[in-house]
Amino acid sequence: MKSPSSESNGSSSPTGPRYWRSLDDLAETPGFQNWLEREFPEGASELDAPGRRNFLKIMAASFGVAGLTFSGCRRPEQTIMPYGRQPEEIIPGVPNYYSTSLPGSRGNVPLVVESHQARPTKVEGNPSYKQYGGGTCAHAQASVLDLYDPDRAAKSQSRRSRNNPNWNAMTKSARDDIVAECAKAISEASPKAKVAFLASSSSSPTRAALVKKLQGNANVIWAEHDAIDFSNPEQALGKVAQTKNDAYIRPVHHLAKAKRIFSLDSDFLGIEPDHLRCSRDFSAGRDVESEKDVAKMNRLYVVEANLTLTGSMADHRLRLETSRITSFARLLAAEVLSQAGIEAKGAAVLRKHEKSLGIEPKWLQEAAKDLVEHAKNSASVVLAGSHLPDEVHALTFAMNQALNAIGKTVEYVEVEQGSNASIEDLATELEAGNVQTLIFMEGNPAYTAPRDWPTLLKKVKGKVIRFGYSLDETSDLADIHLASTHYLESWSDGFSYAQDSLFPVQPLIQPLFDGISELDFLARVLGSRQDAHALVKATFARHSKGDFDKFLRDGKSSQSPTKFEQPIAYEDLLALSADQADPSTLSADNLDLVLVPSFHNWDGSYANNGWMQECPDPLTRLTWDNAILISPKLAKELESSSGVQILPNSTMLNKSGVIAPDTATFDLGMQSAPVAKIKVGDTVVEGPVHVQPGLATYSIVASLGFGRRKVGRVGEGTGFDAYPLLVSGERIVSGAELDLNKDLGRMKLANVQEHWSMEGRAIIREGTTEEYAKKPDFVSKMGMESHSPPIYGKDKHQSVKEKAQSTPRGASSYELPDHKPGKHGEILGDHQADEYGLHQWGMAIDLNRCTGCSSCVIACQSENNIPIVGKDQVLRGREMHWIRMDRYFSSEEREGAEIPEDVQVSFQGMSCSQCETAPCESVCPVNATVHDEEGLNAMAYNRCVGTRYCANNCPYKVRRFNFFDWNKRAIGEFYEGPLGDKNDPLPSLQKNPDVSVRMRGVMEKCTYCVQRIQEAKIQTKIKVQQAKQSATGQSGSDLKLDREELKVPDGTIKPACQQSCGSDAIVFGDISDPESKVSKLKASNRDYSVLGYLGTRPRTTYLAKLRNPNPSMPDKYSYSTPHAAGEHDRRAHSGTGSHGHGDDHGDHHEGHKGDSGGHHR
Amino acid sequence: MANIFPKWSNTLPLKILIGLTLVGGGVSWGTMYYFSPKFSRPGYMPEQPVSYDHSFHVGQLGLDCRYCHSNVDKSPHANLPAASTCMSCHDTVLKDSPALALVRESYYGEDKNRNRKLDPGEDLNANDVLDGGPPVPWVRVHKSPDYAYFNHAIHVNRGISCVECHGDVTKMKEVRHEKSLGMAFCLDCHRNPEKALRPLDKVYDLTWKPDPEDPHHLGLGQELKKNWHIQPPTSCTGCHR
Repeated sequence: MKSPSSESNGSSSPTGPRYWRSLDDLAETPGFQNWLEREFPEGASELDAPGRRNFLKIMAASFGVAGLTFSGCRRPEQTIMPYGRQPEEIIPGVPNYYSTSLPGSRGNVPLVVESHQARPTKVEGNPSYKQYGGGTCAHAQASVLDLYDPDRAAKSQSRRSRNNPNWNAMTKSARDDIVAECAKAISEASPKAKVAFLASSSSSPTRAALVKKLQGNANVIWAEHDAIDFSNPEQALGKVAQTKNDAYIRPVHHLAKAKRIFSLDSDFLGIEPDHLRCSRDFSAGRDVESEKDVAKMNRLYVVEANLTLTGSMADHRLRLETSRITSFARLLAAEVLSQAGIEAKGAAVLRKHEKSLGIEPKWLQEAAKDLVEHAKNSASVVLAGSHLPDEVHALTFAMNQALNAIGKTVEYVEVEQGSNASIEDLATELEAGNVQTLIFMEGNPAYTAPRDWPTLLKKVKGKVIRFGYSLDETSDLADIHLASTHYLESWSDGFSYAQDSLFPVQPLIQPLFDGISELDFLARVLGSRQDAHALVKATFARHSKGDFDKFLRDGKSSQSPTKFEQPIAYEDLLALSADQADPSTLSADNLDLVLVPSFHNWDGSYANNGWMQECPDPLTRLTWDNAILISPKLAKELESSSGVQILPNSTMLNKSGVIAPDTATFDLGMQSAPVAKIKVGDTVVEGPVHVQPGLATYSIVASLGFGRRKVGRVGEGTGFDAYPLLVSGERIVSGAELDLNKDLGRMKLANVQEHWSMEGRAIIREGTTEEYAKKPDFVSKMGMESHSPPIYGKDKHQSVKEKAQSTPRGASSYELPDHKPGKHGEILGDHQADEYGLHQWGMAIDLNRCTGCSSCVIACQSENNIPIVGKDQVLRGREMHWIRMDRYFSSEEREGAEIPEDVQVSFQGMSCSQCETAPCESVCPVNATVHDEEGLNAMAYNRCVGTRYCANNCPYKVRRFNFFDWNKRAIGEFYEGPLGDKNDPLPSLQKNPDVSVRMRGVMEKCTYCVQRIQEAKIQTKIKVQQAKQSATGQSGSDLKLDREELKVPDGTIKPACQQSCGSDAIVFGDISDPESKVSKLKASNRDYSVLGYLGTRPRTTYLAKLRNPNPSMPDKYSYSTPHAAGEHDRRAHSGTGSHGHGDDHGDHHEGHKGDSGGHHR
Repeated sequence: MANIFPKWSNTLPLKILIGLTLVGGGVSWGTMYYFSPKFSRPGYMPEQPVSYDHSFHVGQLGLDCRYCHSNVDKSPHANLPAASTCMSCHDTVLKDSPALALVRESYYGEDKNRNRKLDPGEDLNANDVLDGGPPVPWVRVHKSPDYAYFNHAIHVNRGISCVECHGDVTKMKEVRHEKSLGMAFCLDCHRNPEKALRPLDKVYDLTWKPDPEDPHHLGLGQELKKNWHIQPPTSCTGCHR
């Protein structure tokens, strides 16, 4: 069925593409078309007018100065400073690695940290904790930058009164006096003069022991408060289970064993505390070696309000407002229990609101059926988001119990509850005037728990002391600010989330400044003479009989958690569901507000971390800001009621027939978002609006952690503060209103979404398991390649190894050692000859495993000295990330410019693909980018003159240009040139000494972490040569080495991105070795090259994504293939013009004609 | 009216042009030459804070290079010795020599009474550790640019002697920059490593020469290259990262 206009224009589809990256992309506005055609986004390559004037002025000045300094021809004298006494383990130039862990409220993340001459530079996951497999989250990767935060409190500070804005630095001894004063206050505390602590929770047993000691004094209040509280599930289950020791019951998921996973609004791949384990296990369940494995693949059902990373991986996703998730959970529980044949008392009430919820019954029934069918192998599991009410967690337990999941796919472990006061208890005591001294430990309650603090604190007669990392909102309430230390400067410890390991927190460096660690502080206020190191050692001795040094070396000590294994009666579990309120009717005037921790700043603690601020949110692709996310349908309703434009204009391509640049929502490549007010009761918060498909219609989402009132230079003025809406820690708020008003104006958002857009080609290839089983080669029949000649021409049947070794490569004028012609001009055939590269490097990225978490982006930034550029420069498209996490949306076919509500999401990490015949090389006038003999596309910075031809010619748009001296100048001073302020020198301590710091005017890009490759090659050669020498005793020409021995063993080299990847999606290695892991992946029939038809022969290839829909579900994709796949076909044809839009491709070639009929309706 | 310009002025523009070309060319050539590492680096011999004499310690006493540059076979950098290395001999030999004052100060640091124990009053910075003194500020002689990553360990472990880049240090009273160490210098050797390769046990023997009596001394380098599969990188990634 063709739409009437389908033949009317050749370049675009009549009904709007189904495969798109942003709203403007979707609307195909002329402005966007112009945008796509440019090399860099508009403004990226132009100097501002005032900037140009300044530039001329400076040029004139610098010529003048040049004459004066000509006499200094001799290079400056440098000194080398050796130690007075050589420390044992430090070898200049060789990094040391120490194990430690990132403290977290519910569990630590085990780490190995690289240190250059006692200077921590790079954080990596600790692979000896197998459950995380060496993966880390983006925040752990970024945490090293906080150590060198120039805005951290270097010294403790005091001031005359709490209202005095002037802080005075304290000496160490003055600081010690204050600590002693605290100790005295504790020993002298009385019921009318108590000492109160307000801390954030911690997983450290040493701290717990100290706190217990403090609580031994009845006049000490220890209160804990977490900005983002993940304790709901364990508390709820603890209440239901009623164990003897009154423990919390914490769910630990083992998704590798699960074949059917149902998530109730749980972002277990994104924000939930154990997401590293979940990502790893979930990806393991998506592992498909060949088409024979598809039956083993897991299936994920997600019901959620926000579009999360977990929802993006879903095979079936249902959008549902958070306030209705509870009702949904009841229905699902009823369905699962009845299908599992369990007669539970009280189950009848679960179906009370079946009708009013408006869920298609078949969706529920079929999903439940699928879960129950796999329950006999204990291969189903249900997860619930930690922000949901107690009832949902009880129901989830009931379902898991009914599905035989307990002990298999989910384990419940007992966690000690502790007897800490809450922030409300503390407030009561404060109001009663019983508190003499108040100590704020870490956290940032003045920001994360807004209330009238100054009034509350008026009754504190003694001192208010703030123990924290930098002067922040909470310091503003205090008399004294005590500087604390970074976790890389302190001793501590912490359990894993699953309670199966104890990790050390080990300092890598003496405190840079006058800080004192949390444990040291607590020990000293308790009057203990032991320091943190001794305390941690003592704790370890209590927990394990092992050797403390081994504990530090391994970075973990295993232990067995107390498992909670006895069943709970269904009656008890369903008791919470007994009285239910009617689910409220949601509308544009009665919205659900979901508050989520920010991808960038988490709860606000990373607000001054430039890497996190600039790392694009994987789903919204925003940097440096948060936004109020609304659904397209709500946007349309609000647009008509308020008259404020939110959605892009309709253009001739989709509706009105007017050709006009659409400056409404995207102006010169900068997202222009209307500002709106969220109103909940009397609380009003103002922020920009971003339309996010995939959101539940009447849910709005705001992220916490932005809009800090008192923060360092980096976080200053970013985003808006949503904490006032977080009433009593509840992350779900009902009855919100969104007030849009023309007077509120619009603001620019630094959205990297549309930069380097790759239009409608088969960039990401997806199939369903069903299709893959039937047509294992579907990947090679997609997009352009369904029509173009095979991309490897006559070499297509060669093995990965042969392809890597025999193809001509590079296009530089240099003679390539690899392809040196023999004496008679022929290409040498013997690849064992020493003229050939010893290895051929390549990479495979499994899109089926990638969850889009973006930790690779930060890992790369940290390893390769990649600078941040600031919001202003991101708006101009000048961000510098070497790897970008592309996010594509796809949906069913729609009408006109309507933005779809339901979308499928695909992620793809894209960095330099190291093309064998690289287009960038042939256009470089100075041979700054050429190939090496091992297949790397080298970039010699010192040779580059900055013509930017290479970036222009790169089809993948992965080259980055240093428009300014990002490393040298402070953000905001770029245009001042040499007159601008220099960057603070402190963050430069983080720089990796093995990678050049690039200057203004040079191009840069991913190098496959060439520094790691070279280091590994050197180490292998040294090791082999030395071993052979000492084994044979020969040292001259009688010593013979085997060429194969000199090869770096597979798996030795892990580029930063691969190392950090929690789901093992990235594999790097030698593709001339058929036994290497990467060669095996590349030999898979899911392997494809992005834009392979261009003949670039990229060394990075991708493995197609598979979706695993349930054929009996009512929302089974209308195409047998995912939404994305049909799109490639159509766009490829419209581009070549060889077929009309309405053609059914299945007739012409082996495309994706599925069993459900044609692709078009 | 007489011609304003005399006839000879007709060729003036050409002469000026030629003149400018020559001057410009000369300046360019001069800059290229005099600023090249080949001209600007060899001969650089800064004065060191402590006049350590290589010709005496190595040439006459026969110290091994690795006694002081102890990590040269483990690290990209050939380290300079800590003061403790010097003091392993000099706390008995020339123990009060004024020439070694800086070394002693660096070694003993807070340890005023030199008993290697932290005594009352010695812990000047109050960190409970007996700290060394200020480092000896040795002046750097050889420096590769920041964007070139030279690795000592791989060179000395694969049969390249110190002498190839640093010259015969055993004869230098004060260390001077002997070779150009420019990129051309590196590539010369990387393209023809056989000229410099030597048996592993002769790497630190700076005066070693192949034995002319040995029948195949001429082909030794070739043979080592073949047997050890020496394949020095000649592409950018070898040194530039």
